[in-house]
Amino acid sequence: MSTTAVGPGPAALSPPAADRPERGRLELLITERDGRSIASRQFHEGALRVLRPHYLDESGQVCFVLVNPGGAYLGADLYVIEVEVESGARLLLTTQSATKIYRTPGSFAEQRMRLVLGDEAQLELAPDQLIAYREASYRQNTHITVRPTSSLIMAEVVTPGWSPDGAAFRYEEVRLRTEISLDPGEAPQLLALDNLLIVPSADDVTGMGFMEGYSHVGSLLVVDRRVDQALADELHGLTRAHEAYTGVSLTATVAGTTGLVLRSLSNSTEELRRLLQACTTLLRRRWYGQPPLDLRKY
Amino acid sequence: MEATPGYQLALQQLTDSALPTGAFAHSLGFETYIERGLVRDEASFGVWLTAFARQQLTFSDGLGIRFLYEDHPVAELDSLLTAQLLPRQLREASVKMGGRLLEIGTDVFPSPALEEYRGLVTSGRASGHQPLAFAVVAHSLGVPLNEALAAYLFAAVTSLTQNAVRAIPLGQNAGQRLLRVAADGVAAAVERVGNLTLDDFGAVSPGLEISQMRHERQRARMFMS
Repeated sequence: MSTTAVGPGPAALSPPAADRPERGRLELLITERDGRSIASRQFHEGALRVLRPHYLDESGQVCFVLVNPGGAYLGADLYVIEVEVESGARLLLTTQSATKIYRTPGSFAEQRMRLVLGDEAQLELAPDQLIAYREASYRQNTHITVRPTSSLIMAEVVTPGWSPDGAAFRYEEVRLRTEISLDPGEAPQLLALDNLLIVPSADDVTGMGFMEGYSHVGSLLVVDRRVDQALADELHGLTRAHEAYTGVSLTATVAGTTGLVLRSLSNSTEELRRLLQACTTLLRRRWYGQPPLDLRKY
Repeated sequence: MEATPGYQLALQQLTDSALPTGAFAHSLGFETYIERGLVRDEASFGVWLTAFARQQLTFSDGLGIRFLYEDHPVAELDSLLTAQLLPRQLREASVKMGGRLLEIGTDVFPSPALEEYRGLVTSGRASGHQPLAFAVVAHSLGVPLNEALAAYLFAAVTSLTQNAVRAIPLGQNAGQRLLRVAADGVAAAVERVGNLTLDDFGAVSPGLEISQMRHERQRARMFMS
């Protein structure tokens, strides 16, 4: 073992190769300058790019909107996103529309994301929902490294991917694997491993013990030194107002910082979006004095 | 006639429901289903137990045991388990029962590997999870992987069934019928564990996880998880 407590890392990825061409790449370096966050370096290639950055409020948090001009992920496509948010900088990263995965004969579509947060850096990830269609296979591997004083908010929704005949869960496989490591200065330690794997072709995923009769799944991951049991209880209280089956819990604490995990099942993207937004609105207001996120206004 | 393998009685002792690890205190989430009225009789508990064996016991406990047998460093697997057991009570249950297993194992089946794992735990470098503590002992006793897996998984479904018999409640014979069916689920899980990869480690269904998380806030509880 090289270092203690670091996950399998590259073992979780498959290498880019002739049969797995890199269809798109995006690299962003976000830096704080005079109270505003800016992209001090930006690179894109292929079928991934970002819209011109903008500022949704006076907080200095920069918003980048990720665009896939191709409109969808296809078989064997590989997309790579690498983002670093430097000390004190704040980034909101979202998408222009839902991530759509079409038929992937032969091999799965894959997105690899590597996110690094500096001291007092903040990252809010708020992508649109993921839709995997009939015979689609998708892997999303996300590696996030934070410092004890970083702040991460990450919300996601996965839909059942209706097929043309109206049936749900006709896709082959969806994997969303997120590793969050906390780097206190010496060796990074694994804080949370969120591994969502839905294989409708191998399991009955609809019933008790899996989707519990619901169709959509939503997740919220928060890592921040202000996360504690009272916050977990408060967010759980907020979720009661929604038509969803929700659980909230805390990760172990590493170097004084704890993660919060919220998982929710529901029958609509909108309901889950409202539930997750109720939670992020509370965090944005309390921690940063920011108004609710309204991505539909432009 | 072949003699009984040397580890046979040791394995029976390790997986006997009388082994004092405190398994009687954990529902690992099924108490939430009882509270919601979804688990209420033999058939409905059977559905839950099948899902639990296919998900949690396969992707978390079972894979952890296999990776330890395949010489993945125990500290790394321990850290992966701590990180992937997202519901707090489930993580605490694994560490609580793992701690007891480390103590008992050190007392009755000592080995250098077990001493090493216990040392990592006492020095705060590992948490001490139940499947890993079991795997270290079973491996040191020379138990082949698939036998160790089957014994561990069957012991897990046995204590859960005994707990369900008390909690729902069910008749003793219903419990035995459930275990007979669960044995098929265990055999399938052992086979599936062999076909998974490191990417699969910790992939537990959202429904089970949410129910395990909600147990934290349940008012009347018989179980700690």
